[in-house]
Amino acid sequence: MSTTSASVIERLRARIGVDGEPSTATVEAGHLKRFAEAIGDPNPRWLEEAPPTFLVALAPVSLHLAEAEEYGKGWLNGGNRFDYSAPVKVGDRITARGRVADVYEKTGATGTLLFIIFETDYLNQAGTLVAKLRGTMIRR
Amino acid sequence: MNIKVGDEIPELVKNPTTRQLVQYAGAQGDFYEIHYDQPFAQSVGLPGVILHGLLKAAFLGQLVTDWLGDRGTLKSFEVSYRGIDQPGVPYRCRGQVTRVQGDEVELDVWGEDPEGKRTTVGTATVLAHR
Repeated sequence: MSTTSASVIERLRARIGVDGEPSTATVEAGHLKRFAEAIGDPNPRWLEEAPPTFLVALAPVSLHLAEAEEYGKGWLNGGNRFDYSAPVKVGDRITARGRVADVYEKTGATGTLLFIIFETDYLNQAGTLVAKLRGTMIRR
Repeated sequence: MNIKVGDEIPELVKNPTTRQLVQYAGAQGDFYEIHYDQPFAQSVGLPGVILHGLLKAAFLGQLVTDWLGDRGTLKSFEVSYRGIDQPGVPYRCRGQVTRVQGDEVELDVWGEDPEGKRTTVGTATVLAHR
């Protein structure tokens, strides 16, 4: 492991479990419509309600992952998991609270990669948890 | 809801274009250049621009919600991105019921390239309405 990658990993690891700056946004009819058009889903239900992956577009959380760009040359998205507990509708005001959950290196056939696991909780205006997102971002 | 283990759900074929990737980049707010800038994508070792993982997740989300309709509620949805997909290539979304327990139904879902390689694999859990 190079000194640079060791220091990047150390700095990212220091952030594990610490909430980033929360972000809040209102679910707007126009944004929902543009999102549904972009994914090519014509279901009229999405004029009123958020489709399964919409929350990623609504309130991105700053996790300062740009720092990880000192490692490797590009990003890969490893995967996403959504757990839903309440519907998200037009007009809802959603707050996202996110954090780094884990950071580790793994060596595979194509070399060593840096894995950053993050999680985000989404709450509505009543303070009710509507969904949780867990994701894996990879530097290669 | 008459759902049994082994049931295949109706497939969904998407025909993503570079234009759609730009549209998606705007709608999601993900402006990473590998999704619309060919020279940039090649500079990081890709064959060209590639689909956003989350766009493929959205396709698989549509697969599940189209099948489910108002018969139930999506409780969880998980996808792993195993390979890259490029615009101009059909993306075939498929799924199969793997478990039925009471009102809870689990599905495997996946996206295939034209060679049948599963470039995205995942699961979904739905709660059927009584």
